[in-house]
Amino acid sequence: MIEARGLTKVYGDKTAVAGVNFTVEAGRVTGFLGPNGAGKSTTMRMIMGLDRPTSGTVTVNGTPFAQHAAPLRDVGALLDAKAVHTSRSAYNHLLAMAATHSIPKRRVHEVIEMTGLADVAKKKVGGFSLGMGQRLGIAAALLGDPQTVILDEPVNGLDPEGVVWVRNLVRHLASEGRTVFLSSHLMSEMAVTADHLIVIGRGRIIADAPIQDIINGKGRIRTRVRTDQPDQLMHLLAGDGVSVELQDNELLEVTGLDPRRIARAALDGHVMIYELTPLQASLEEAYMELTKDEVEYHSLIATGAAAPVQSGGN
Amino acid sequence: MSSTTLDPSRRGTHAAGHTAGTLPGTSTGPGPSFLRVLNSEFIKFRTLLSTLILLGCTVLVVVGFGALSAWGTGQFSEAASRDPQAAAAFAAQGGDLAVGVPTSGIAFAQLILGSLGVLLMSSEFTTGMARSTFAAVPKRIPAFAAKLLVVMVTAFVLTAASVFLAGLVSLPILDNYGLKLDLSSSQSVKMLLVNSLYVAAVAAIGMALGSLIRNSAGGIMSLVGLFFVAPIAFQLIPGDFFVQARKYLPGNTVDPMTAVQHVPDTLEAWQAALVLGAWVVIPVVLAAVLLKKRDV
Repeated sequence: MIEARGLTKVYGDKTAVAGVNFTVEAGRVTGFLGPNGAGKSTTMRMIMGLDRPTSGTVTVNGTPFAQHAAPLRDVGALLDAKAVHTSRSAYNHLLAMAATHSIPKRRVHEVIEMTGLADVAKKKVGGFSLGMGQRLGIAAALLGDPQTVILDEPVNGLDPEGVVWVRNLVRHLASEGRTVFLSSHLMSEMAVTADHLIVIGRGRIIADAPIQDIINGKGRIRTRVRTDQPDQLMHLLAGDGVSVELQDNELLEVTGLDPRRIARAALDGHVMIYELTPLQASLEEAYMELTKDEVEYHSLIATGAAAPVQSGGN
Repeated sequence: MSSTTLDPSRRGTHAAGHTAGTLPGTSTGPGPSFLRVLNSEFIKFRTLLSTLILLGCTVLVVVGFGALSAWGTGQFSEAASRDPQAAAAFAAQGGDLAVGVPTSGIAFAQLILGSLGVLLMSSEFTTGMARSTFAAVPKRIPAFAAKLLVVMVTAFVLTAASVFLAGLVSLPILDNYGLKLDLSSSQSVKMLLVNSLYVAAVAAIGMALGSLIRNSAGGIMSLVGLFFVAPIAFQLIPGDFFVQARKYLPGNTVDPMTAVQHVPDTLEAWQAALVLGAWVVIPVVLAAVLLKKRDV
């Protein structure tokens, strides 16, 4: 479990992270989403004790990272794919890292196999592609078989096969009860990988909720309805908090009513409908919506925290 | 490159303690003790080809200059023997020019190993390796101390071995000119030990500079400035202050420490040792304090 309380980092006159509070729970994949420069990497470096917070604290399993007795065995991190001396081989890099915690050579070979680096392990890291660098970073993160895994942009530069591999890996790690904290600006990747999402923008947490809640965004449920009698249906559905938009001759988009209630209204009013499709906002849409306006962030946090609503924000 | 699916059964015995439901935050193995960090730093040291090349260069340069100096000294003594005046001057110096032959390449050894000290630390920052290093050893100081130990011990042992080798190589050359060099004499041993310690000190100063400046070129230039430019500049600038100050430059502490007799207007051997010690301790402590404080 990772807990940040009032975590702040100021570089000169620029506030990179502005007093954020969040908790990353064990046993699920928590995504850390935000545009470039939002403070994701800074936050992760502070978790790893590499950057000193200007104020506030961040702990891993209740203890600041630097005070762990065996840090690599508790927390593994990929902070930067190139956090390696370019003239050293991947194997020697991992060997040197392992030596600090008396991690056996067998484990070094294991993580090399696991990350698919066996063919290039004896080659200089300087010649690695970005994707191989990522794999090496992930191998280093897994070296101590840590309870907490932190990965900063792990799928950057990976081929599609690698992306799927990382997705399966982090889901597997979370299923073993580990804490998995994953940053990315690839929203589509987050949508299929993460269970929970923390969205950061300009150093502030703008959403911290289960991924489904963020996609549903403020409880707005949209449904596409096709019917022969759109006018009649519009009349039947009219009500508080419901908006119906006639998009085409026979196509309606209903916001604020779930499909079941639309179907019931149609049945009661003897209107035949021949399509009823719940429309889900993509994570992209939800994210754009979130980052549109600072004021809206706060309202989302309020509703998200009070009650993760399923339908109707009204 | 084929991707490997994660197979839980392949995670080995280590994973057994970390299955779902394990209480978080319980380490199941040893952490970064100083000996382990030292081992890690030694692995890092010996697995860089560039480091090994610099070490090889040091041996070559020290032995090469030893041989060259033996030849030059032989030529000089031959000329002196034909010139009674030069012979008298030669004799006044104790007649023992040969004892300085094995250490004649020290200026270059200090430049190479001092630069190596800079590089080993600055490259941590320029390559991003520092993030891996200090994530594994978040207390930072043990990693710094371990690297310092590796650098200093290597510099000392390598210089001592090179100087000894240079002595062995120069023996037959000096013999050719009828000059005697006793490598086991107390003065020879003193020269070897003091110069090796000196080079270890320069390497430590280099490492401190690399840690403070975090930039390879800047670190090496500062080192060159301190050991090669400052002594010349201090000599050229008129004024009593610079004449005095020059004695306290780290590069000018070796001669007083190896002098057979105290030469007037120079530091006493113990003073020179203290000055050199201060030149090591101050930047090293400063580097360690700032390393602990600054962001990586």
